[in-house]
Amino acid sequence: MPVIELSYSRLQKLIGKVTKKQISDSLPFLGLDIESEDKDLIRIEYSPNRPDYSTDYGIALGMQGLLGIKTGMVKLNVKKSHNYQISVNSSVTKIRPFVTGIIAKNGKVDDKTIKQLMTMQEDLHFGIGRKRKKSSIGIHDLDKISFPLVYTTTTRNHKFIPLNSEKETTISEILVNTDVGKDYGSILGQSSQVPIILDDNENTVSFPPIINAAVTTVTTKTKNLFVEVTGINKEDAEDMLAVVATILQSAGFILESIKITGAKNSSPKLEQRKITVSTSLINQILGLNLNSSKIISSLKKSRLDAISKGTNIICTIPAYRFDIFGPLDLVEEVALGYGIQNLEPILSPSQTIGKINPVSLKLKSLDQTMIGLGFLEALNSSLTSKRVLYDMTNRDSTKIISVLDSKSREHTILRDSILPGLLENLSKNIHESYPQKMFETGTVFATENPISEKINFSGISAHKDANFTEIKSIIQSALNIGFGIKVETKTATNSTFEDGYCASIVLNNIPIGIIGKIDSKIIENYKIRVPVVGFEISLSDSVLKN
Amino acid sequence: MSQVFHEIEKKIIASLRDNPKQSPESLEKSTQLSPDQIRRGIEWLKLKNLAIVTESKSSILSLGKNGVESFTKGLPERRLLDLLKTGPRKLSDLQKELGFVFGPSMGLARKNNWVEVSLDEISIKDPPSELLGEKTLKLIGNEKLSKDKIDDDDLSGLLKRPDFIIEDVIKTKEISLSDLAKSIKLSDSVGGIDVEANVPEVFVARTHPLKDTIDEIREIFVTLGFSEILGNMTQSSFWNFDALFTPQDHPARELQDTFYLDRINAKKIGTPEQIRKVSESHKKNWRYQWDINEARKMVLRTHTTCVTIKHLAENKPDEARIFSLGRVFRNEKVSYKHLVEFNQIEGIVVGKDASLRNLMGIQREFYKRIGITKIKFWPTFFPYTEPSLQTMVYNEKLGKWIELFGMGIFRPEVTKPLGITQPVLAWGGGIERIAMLKYDLGDVREFYNNNLGWLRSAIKCQ
Repeated sequence: MPVIELSYSRLQKLIGKVTKKQISDSLPFLGLDIESEDKDLIRIEYSPNRPDYSTDYGIALGMQGLLGIKTGMVKLNVKKSHNYQISVNSSVTKIRPFVTGIIAKNGKVDDKTIKQLMTMQEDLHFGIGRKRKKSSIGIHDLDKISFPLVYTTTTRNHKFIPLNSEKETTISEILVNTDVGKDYGSILGQSSQVPIILDDNENTVSFPPIINAAVTTVTTKTKNLFVEVTGINKEDAEDMLAVVATILQSAGFILESIKITGAKNSSPKLEQRKITVSTSLINQILGLNLNSSKIISSLKKSRLDAISKGTNIICTIPAYRFDIFGPLDLVEEVALGYGIQNLEPILSPSQTIGKINPVSLKLKSLDQTMIGLGFLEALNSSLTSKRVLYDMTNRDSTKIISVLDSKSREHTILRDSILPGLLENLSKNIHESYPQKMFETGTVFATENPISEKINFSGISAHKDANFTEIKSIIQSALNIGFGIKVETKTATNSTFEDGYCASIVLNNIPIGIIGKIDSKIIENYKIRVPVVGFEISLSDSVLKN
Repeated sequence: MSQVFHEIEKKIIASLRDNPKQSPESLEKSTQLSPDQIRRGIEWLKLKNLAIVTESKSSILSLGKNGVESFTKGLPERRLLDLLKTGPRKLSDLQKELGFVFGPSMGLARKNNWVEVSLDEISIKDPPSELLGEKTLKLIGNEKLSKDKIDDDDLSGLLKRPDFIIEDVIKTKEISLSDLAKSIKLSDSVGGIDVEANVPEVFVARTHPLKDTIDEIREIFVTLGFSEILGNMTQSSFWNFDALFTPQDHPARELQDTFYLDRINAKKIGTPEQIRKVSESHKKNWRYQWDINEARKMVLRTHTTCVTIKHLAENKPDEARIFSLGRVFRNEKVSYKHLVEFNQIEGIVVGKDASLRNLMGIQREFYKRIGITKIKFWPTFFPYTEPSLQTMVYNEKLGKWIELFGMGIFRPEVTKPLGITQPVLAWGGGIERIAMLKYDLGDVREFYNNNLGWLRSAIKCQ
């Protein structure tokens, strides 16, 4: 979850009459978790579905609603203007087909505002922009640009001075030499043409989705902004624009429209939507009995507008709240406005009779039997390593099932057997007193259409007198007393066990497992100094078989 | 009252009656017992108030390098005074003869008025017959001597000088019998055993502590009217993600968060209708080209929700309370608070009367039964539920609120394409977190270390 750093004093100025304590008490009820606090600074975690909370401006809007300082929908006031135009060349269609944008004027930009705008931009890029692939934003100093603009394509030899640089660089160089070029260059694929926004003097404004031109850099001297969003679909680009526009308006800018034409592009509407929800659905889902006016006031506290019509509520949703899909989302908005702390939990008696799964019951019964036989239960990961599973125990690894890109070397392979893990456990306990007797039941995996999962049971006994007879008695008693199943042992060989002390465990002439004395080389590998005997059987093929 | 004694105890008592104050070493000799037997015997007798053990420290002194030199040649100031015995001498001559000890010895002699300095000549004035420290040097010589045999004043002068005296502190034990032991008749103690003596520890065989917590939670769910369902740990992306409205380009689906199986894809992922409707919901709401090949990729389930949603899609109950419990996986770096594989429980309530307050009520009851009474609910976000809440529970030991289970109502974008018509409440979370609180563990890895030291000693939670 993304984290943002805020200052209480700035928030207090933005929200209005509010104490520091009111802010910290209310943040969790906006869905914002306080990570840490240090005097005036506060770090909070917000959900990626609310990118408007990536700035203190957005949080202030939400907080005003929750505290009842200002409620109802935040309306976007966009002044119609004919001064700003972007025409789109159809050459972009195959690469990054859509551009949209807005003008924001007469704002004050200080260091803190720039910092907030940059975090918002990064979070939008990462979240709904899907690491800039779906859509990306550029924010520019309007006064350094001559309109009209053109959104078109250019070759990789095109040169301009990119952000944070002083010298002219080709696109190819940018993609190879800069961090952003390396991180996001792959979005453009191998195409020889790349998207570019040029101004009326043919100066480069932006090379989306990679980098802006240096000339349009926003500084504390900037008063007027030009915001562009490019992307692979129009709706997502406009969603992103709606967040930026709402935040800039809250930061004191006056918005003006841009006319966008060409290649299936059009000017952004940033329109509010209406969704109808019935009062009965709201009350059913929340378990409340609210009347229309209470529902409407709760929605307004969540910064939405609503009116009642019969038994329905017609809710108006601003463009930046694209996280709202349908009526159930509005139920949550009612709950938030009403206050989660005001929802009293109720316990209605169950109409159903609970039941433990028969498999769990049988496994629990087996646990009890093994404890009676003096065995301690172990638990190992089912995602383990080639070392434990195959190398140390000399087992056949041709049917290995691995996962991709594991961050932990100890967890890369799905186990096909439980016994190797128990041997590993013994090796980590050689300083503890003997006898050491352990068992484990758990899932093992095999490649079969595409993966089969079975439950295995393994037991192991290590002490100076450990022998085949002892462990055979254990498995026979466990299965006989536990489940009334009688198994036999038939001579076998297995790379994990010592020849002459190894047998397969057979149930009704069908092999269900293996038993024996662990091969002395394996014991040596593990630096265990006492003999070890053990077994492993498939429960799915025996006890759990229907 | 007759008292039972071990052979070792009897031998020690007998020896101490012959020779009332002995060191452990002398007891070894007199009883022919091993050092370990003597140590144990003394411990036992001490516990029974029969033996008195007095520990004392003593210092043994010997001469250091400079001490030995002064012992053979005399103290530096003595050497100076000896040179002046025959009459005044020139300063430069004395310097030559005494070398680097000239400075300090001259300083000492002038300070104490033993010599007189005029122009460049030094003459003897009023020296004592024996200098401070000479007595000690003579006493110790090349031997070792106990500190209490030496005059403290005389010694103090030498202790200040570097490498003159080496002091070794030696701890000695002296064992003697208490009055009680003196009167005890050893012949009384025939037959029987010492029933009060310590015995060796035995280890119980037991189920794993984490398993105990899992079983406890399973039972609580059952008593709350929930039935257990099981499902595979390997799942197609379709059930783990797509069916739960997680778009195919969502960051949670990336390799760095989720374990994908290497080159293994599911052939059959759902009914044609399920696939069509889920893909339509994605296309409409998330606006992208849904790809069935992405849905076929096999993953290690990241939650148990894939099991419950599949069960609901297959059975479409109007009314149900079910739960699913088992291992889930996240591609994370293993640390004291993160595992790649851990247990999760998830409960589902289906029914037309199911409400958020109900869900909160069930949770409150659940926490009460595992001994947590201070809880509160905060809003949160999960991709497949709306509204979504998280439980915060107050941990007395840590003195803070910590996050436990999450809960919510399945989005219609999840339920509708799968033909589920009733509201579905879901709630759940990780079990290890609860077990950590119960067993007071600071490191979650301990549950899977199978460290016998811990497994054999961890006290069962009630």
